Amino acid sequence: MRGLDVLTEFSMKAGQKIEPKKIKIDDTTLRDGEQTAGVVFANDEKVHIAKMLDKVGVHQIEAGIPAMGGDEKDAIKAIVALNLNCSILGWNRAVISDIDDSIECGVDAIAISISASDIHIEHKLRKSREWVLDSVKTSVEHAKKHNLYVSVNAEDASRADMEFLLQFARTARDLGADRMRYCDTLGILDPFETFMRVKTIIDIVGIDVEMHTHNDFGMAIANAIAGVKAGATYINTTINGLGERAGNAAFEEFVMALKYLENVDLGIDTRLFRDISEYVAIASGRFIPTWKPIVGANLFVYESEIRASTTLIDPSTFELFGPEDVGLERKLIVGKSSGVHTLTSKLESLGHKIEQSQAAELVEIIRDKALSLKRALFDSEIIDTFNSFKAAGPIYADSKNKGVDK
Amino acid sequence: MIIEDKERKINIIDTTLRNGEQTAGVVFSKHEKIRMAKMLDEIGIPEIEIGTPSIGQSEREIIKEIVASGIRGKLFTYTEAIPDNIKLAAECGIKNIIINISTSDLHIKVKYGQNKTWVLNQLKETIAAAKHYGLDFIISAEDATRTDLEFLLKLLHLAQKKEAYRFRICDTVSRLDPFRTFLLINTILSTVDFPIEVYNHNDFGMATANAMAAVRAGAVSLVTSINGIGEGTGNAALEEIVMALKYLENIELGVTTSRFREIAEYVAKASARAVPVWKAIVGTNVFAHESGIHADGVLKNPINYEVFEPGEVGLTRQIVVGKHSGSHTILHKFKEFGIDLTMNEANDILAMSRSMSVDLKRPLFDKELMYVYKDYKDSHKKTAHLSAE
Repeated sequence: MRGLDVLTEFSMKAGQKIEPKKIKIDDTTLRDGEQTAGVVFANDEKVHIAKMLDKVGVHQIEAGIPAMGGDEKDAIKAIVALNLNCSILGWNRAVISDIDDSIECGVDAIAISISASDIHIEHKLRKSREWVLDSVKTSVEHAKKHNLYVSVNAEDASRADMEFLLQFARTARDLGADRMRYCDTLGILDPFETFMRVKTIIDIVGIDVEMHTHNDFGMAIANAIAGVKAGATYINTTINGLGERAGNAAFEEFVMALKYLENVDLGIDTRLFRDISEYVAIASGRFIPTWKPIVGANLFVYESEIRASTTLIDPSTFELFGPEDVGLERKLIVGKSSGVHTLTSKLESLGHKIEQSQAAELVEIIRDKALSLKRALFDSEIIDTFNSFKAAGPIYADSKNKGVDK
Repeated sequence: MIIEDKERKINIIDTTLRNGEQTAGVVFSKHEKIRMAKMLDEIGIPEIEIGTPSIGQSEREIIKEIVASGIRGKLFTYTEAIPDNIKLAAECGIKNIIINISTSDLHIKVKYGQNKTWVLNQLKETIAAAKHYGLDFIISAEDATRTDLEFLLKLLHLAQKKEAYRFRICDTVSRLDPFRTFLLINTILSTVDFPIEVYNHNDFGMATANAMAAVRAGAVSLVTSINGIGEGTGNAALEEIVMALKYLENIELGVTTSRFREIAEYVAKASARAVPVWKAIVGTNVFAHESGIHADGVLKNPINYEVFEPGEVGLTRQIVVGKHSGSHTILHKFKEFGIDLTMNEANDILAMSRSMSVDLKRPLFDKELMYVYKDYKDSHKKTAHLSAE
């Protein structure tokens, strides 16, 4: 499965330049994001998220599942009625009535989803491969009669037999489907296998491919990037990586990885990232971890001596992009890992000056304080400690020396 | 070059106690550090970084206690390449250290205000000090992924000549994707045959993927932290690395993974950083299924939507009833409650549950589901009563 030749090819492709214009984001926060166990968006929130996605510059919004009816349909209709710049896509099973529901909602694009792996065909659908291809046929034909843009989603493509997957892709292409969505439903691919499988489909069948990746093993972004390197042109993302189980490829991470690691700028307004993330965090009831890549509140907060002092001189030593690029701020805090430079700069920013030798003493006190409090200190605590240190300066030094002598 | 050997050993060196604690705002207490070191040891992590002696007296006291706590694994402390720091480590009773030095032109200039010759000398002097105290040492090249390759190879040769224990490549600013990681490690190993470990950050969400790529290219050791805790976006998460090695690379480390959830919770408490419910491997939502298609698929056979059993990482499976549920989930749920519903009843109760879930903006508790059932039965009785009249 993992021969040397293929791998050599992988590494050759690693440096290959990606054509920027071709890559498009199809965001599924409103569909797979909401499908997350425990997450329900209000219709107003869905409409607001759609507006934000359009404003920031995504190319397509997967707005929901029309076949769920009722409220869900209302939300999709409301989003269609916004007349946004981006395309609006509805998600469907490979069932005619589902597609009719999508048509009723007025979407311009649909995804038709059906499992492609034998495991799913046998254990979930309890049908045959032929049945799957027939369902694709009837549903794509029906959709194409209504002039919809059609994505055929191969669910569980990663565990599908490659021969069958090619047959699946060929069937979709011959029926006039506009693209095939490669779903790594369980998140079990690594980037090398992703590259190999996606490249095989594109080379042999020549259909546009969209990547839908999951993060079960922490590989969602890497696999999305691998798909792009293999020639995929659409990426299915969600804000904050919301999605079933461990979630999907995070929109903000994918866009920034493409921009800063692959030199492909999609023209997305990244400065709005923190805003959008916060909104979706609140609407989904799922906080943004402070360490979340790209938008976490802690990303540009420095405490440890080396990072803090070096970043103060030149941020590019530890940052590939600045906080302003994603709507965050750079901050210095003083705690257990801080040293003289961090403390001196912090005090200076708070309007106090301290001698180097004094700072060396004060920082010991502050570290012990952080250790006993089990956290970094607040600015006011630093000032307090500084003031009492100054007042008791020589005594402090004396008692410390005595301690050492003992 | 690609090793298909299932017996292949990959080393894990966990840095929760060192770089994990270096996270802005995180401080572990002495007891927590000792407990975490023991936990890591108990589940079979072979090497642990326990702290930075130069931080201060209290840190050194903690290090001494961990050293004395009878841990089987190899213990390391961390130091910048400053010869005077080595004594501090030796005094803690530690036998292994990591000597870190920045190697990129940018870091050498900004961080040290020096040049490459200075870096080489500084490293040589620190190594001499380590040898003086009889310490084994890993040489850690900070910002290695933005370092001139020729200089990096020079350092590797130095490491080899001075009999370093390993050489660490730090992707300090997450400059690599998996393909470039593969290329870099592969290039290094084709030139210098020396044990390489990689240290990844997660700035673009690729820490685990990059670590796996390094393993494919021949790296023998990975630096991890529990929950991926670490400076900035954090490091490669221990639990992700172990499971990805097992299920994606067929490399079984023999780690007691069934304690992953417990350990993740412990570190979450100690670091005051919650485990997100969607955290890969250990999040509580990883085995929660709500949507009709997924829940139905899992009820038919978990293999449809799960790669491994939840118990393998100390979690449990949950079927959640909410906006996206289907009628099969309802049938199943009520069967668990000891109630056999007809398909018609299930469909009616599903419609009621969905609209209730939309109204509440969350899935239903089991109790609430029973209320729905009761309301349904009551309204049904009423209708039956009315039609009888």
